[in-house]
Amino acid sequence: MKILMFTWEFPPLISGGLGMACYGMVKALLSQGIKIDLVLPTRELVYFPLREESDVDILPAVFLDQKMHKEFTQRSFSTIQERLDYIGITAHPESYFRLSEIKQYAVSVRRKYWLSEVVTNEERELWDEMTANLIGEEDLMRKVQEYTLRADRFAKALEYDLIHAHDWLTYPSGMLAKQLSKKPLIVHIHATEFDRAGGPGDERVHKIEHAGMTYADKVIAVSKYTAQMIMSRYRIDTGKIRIIHNAFTVPEDAVSHKERIFKGPTILFLGRITLQKGPDYYLEIADKVLKVHPEARFIIAGTGDMSRQVLRRSASLRLKNRFLFTGFLNRKQVERVLQAADIYVLPSVSEPFGISPLEAMAFGITSIISKQSGVAEVVHHAFKIDYWDIDLWAETINHLIENREKCAKIGIEGMREVHRIQWDEAAEKIRHLYSSTLAEFIRRQDN
Amino acid sequence: MLNIIFYFQVHQPYRLNHFNVLDINRNAEMFDDKLNGLVMKKVAEKCYLPTNELLYELIKQSEGRFKIAFSITGTAIEQFKLYSPETLDSFKRLVDTGCVELLGETYFHSLAFLYDTNEFLDQVMMHRDLMQQEFGYYTTTFRNTELIYQDRLSDIIYEIEGFKTIVTEGVDRILQWRTPLYAYKNYSKDINLLLKYYQLADDIAFRFSNRDWPEYPLTVDKFVNWIDHLTLAETGGKNLFLNLFMDYETFGEHQWASSGIFDFMRHFPAAVLAKGHLGFANPKDTSHLANYQQEGLSFTDAVSWADEQRDLSAWLENDMQKNAIETLYELFFRIKEKGDPELLRIARLLSTSDHFYYMCSKYFQDGDVHKYFSPYDSPDQAYIYFITALAELEERLLR
Repeated sequence: MKILMFTWEFPPLISGGLGMACYGMVKALLSQGIKIDLVLPTRELVYFPLREESDVDILPAVFLDQKMHKEFTQRSFSTIQERLDYIGITAHPESYFRLSEIKQYAVSVRRKYWLSEVVTNEERELWDEMTANLIGEEDLMRKVQEYTLRADRFAKALEYDLIHAHDWLTYPSGMLAKQLSKKPLIVHIHATEFDRAGGPGDERVHKIEHAGMTYADKVIAVSKYTAQMIMSRYRIDTGKIRIIHNAFTVPEDAVSHKERIFKGPTILFLGRITLQKGPDYYLEIADKVLKVHPEARFIIAGTGDMSRQVLRRSASLRLKNRFLFTGFLNRKQVERVLQAADIYVLPSVSEPFGISPLEAMAFGITSIISKQSGVAEVVHHAFKIDYWDIDLWAETINHLIENREKCAKIGIEGMREVHRIQWDEAAEKIRHLYSSTLAEFIRRQDN
Repeated sequence: MLNIIFYFQVHQPYRLNHFNVLDINRNAEMFDDKLNGLVMKKVAEKCYLPTNELLYELIKQSEGRFKIAFSITGTAIEQFKLYSPETLDSFKRLVDTGCVELLGETYFHSLAFLYDTNEFLDQVMMHRDLMQQEFGYYTTTFRNTELIYQDRLSDIIYEIEGFKTIVTEGVDRILQWRTPLYAYKNYSKDINLLLKYYQLADDIAFRFSNRDWPEYPLTVDKFVNWIDHLTLAETGGKNLFLNLFMDYETFGEHQWASSGIFDFMRHFPAAVLAKGHLGFANPKDTSHLANYQQEGLSFTDAVSWADEQRDLSAWLENDMQKNAIETLYELFFRIKEKGDPELLRIARLLSTSDHFYYMCSKYFQDGDVHKYFSPYDSPDQAYIYFITALAELEERLLR
């Protein structure tokens, strides 16, 4: 079986959990014999034919343009990174595309022939909903527009049995591919606009999400929490939704031994500093804990649109030198900060899944996660608290600080548990979904 | 007689490394030696060496009638020794002319006066010792960091043997209808007070090369003419003092050589001395020269020479600045209790006011000046490095 897969993130191109999830999922799918043609927001017009497990790290690439592909294959690259740089994938999302090359999107996306074969009114409505909302001059919107235009070419040039699109940025592409190929579409919900914005958010995104999910044959939700969300907020047909929890590949370098930075108990927030992750709650929790345990140290690792707000507030609360900012961390630095922490805290306001706590648990760190997160459905050896219950968060942290042995013991239990949450199982569920969707599709065609 | 009193501030901070949480407890270098060396060498070449040379010539040419004062911080002297010893030598040569007064201040150019009187006194005495040791000079005029002054400062300085005069900003809200041209006294009339004539001082320091300024270009004739007009205010034969206080880096650094600032200075003393009723004096001379009853001025709130507000807001306005400085002075107390000289030295290097200036987030006109002087991208970034360095300092304290 061959899948045309659209995703916005894949290592080394990562800004959040999406890239990590896609990596683990694709790797496990490959090991189960699924072939995947992967399309990423690269600078050059390429796709990645992934056939073996090891391909996820090598990322073999094919240029759609034959002349360019020849040129590409004749070049020698001394490292994988050098080759990826040539294609235009780096660790920083800013490098996606050259925006100057995006032309006349609105004209092209409404090209008549895309719509010529639309059969039902319902389809036409969804298509209109998507195209009418894929507008805007923001960098991200324009990148999505460019990506969608390119999907046209991939959809036509490649052979595949089924389309799999991850998150709204690639739904228009998935819809387009389905439209052109008449193959079934599965969309995968890693996060909705409601999670990211803590409310309705950007209406365009919301509409695109709705169009994509409705247009799709099947919808994968990464947790019950997310399934609830898309049923209640997007009114998606329950029969189409499958809950497949994300999993986690324990990094080989995950170790439980500590390389302390601080002598005092060290509490860590690791993630984007954005409303969804609840960094403002973290700050209030820190304020409460520090009043009881001034020897504690709170680290906030990452960057995001709320960095400045959190920074200024930490100063106005006079958290002294006990609430510290690392800024952006690369992979090695993330490992170091994980080794230095005793307690991991993620007070997400709305978290469809949340891989980061699993990573922390893999390092033997006792984790406290919000009840409003999908990951809470799959782990047992972690504390789960409503994100808004600041007093309880503070009491729990105080308790762990005061009972260091207990804290360490929970950390070890959590580590053991995380090792059991493997991608193989999730990939198997996805593979079954592929098969049943395809079977259903063929049956429908035969009728 | 109107006496022009030039005092130039010479200061360089030890700038911090881009210090990250992950560097804590790893014996990382806290200060950016490379950047500090680069800045010192650049400023020495563009400002200190050529200006010292020029002032030396002017003193010789005027046969001692041209007089100037410097306040040189301990952190500047240390960095001369490290990166530009010839600069220190050229200052010594200037001081040896006898026409140069050295002012006393805090060794580390700190805001200790506002937070820790004992630490303040320690730093003042360290600086006086340094002036003795390097220049054989005993300081009798005091200049607090950034000309920060309030009544309480005069009380403290009066208690220190030898200080007779303090220099500060001629702030309008204190002076009101008065002119800064007279020598005043502090509120209790124990100490002589000299107030910066900021309009004219800033014409040189800030506006000299500003082409949008209506008076551009500033010529020696024009400037001397303005000064001449000031003397009309006084007809009773009283000695007036025109206090032109500014950063020494004005010459060649803030105002580039191409602006003509050196030519201006080259011809200024002779043009002044050509007028019989104009001259130059040192701050220490003013208490003898003041041939009138000096009025006592009360400063209940702190003033400074920075920004439009001329208050403490350049260093101590936003929460980042306050959290940072409060945390630092708490650590001072604990470090002194422990008695670790190495940590005390680091805390003192962190007490330099520049660190708090970099965190200033007033983004209007003055924000530009702050930005020009800051080695960091933003006030937030400056704060992060500083607060992280304080976390490192505390970890070392706990060792």
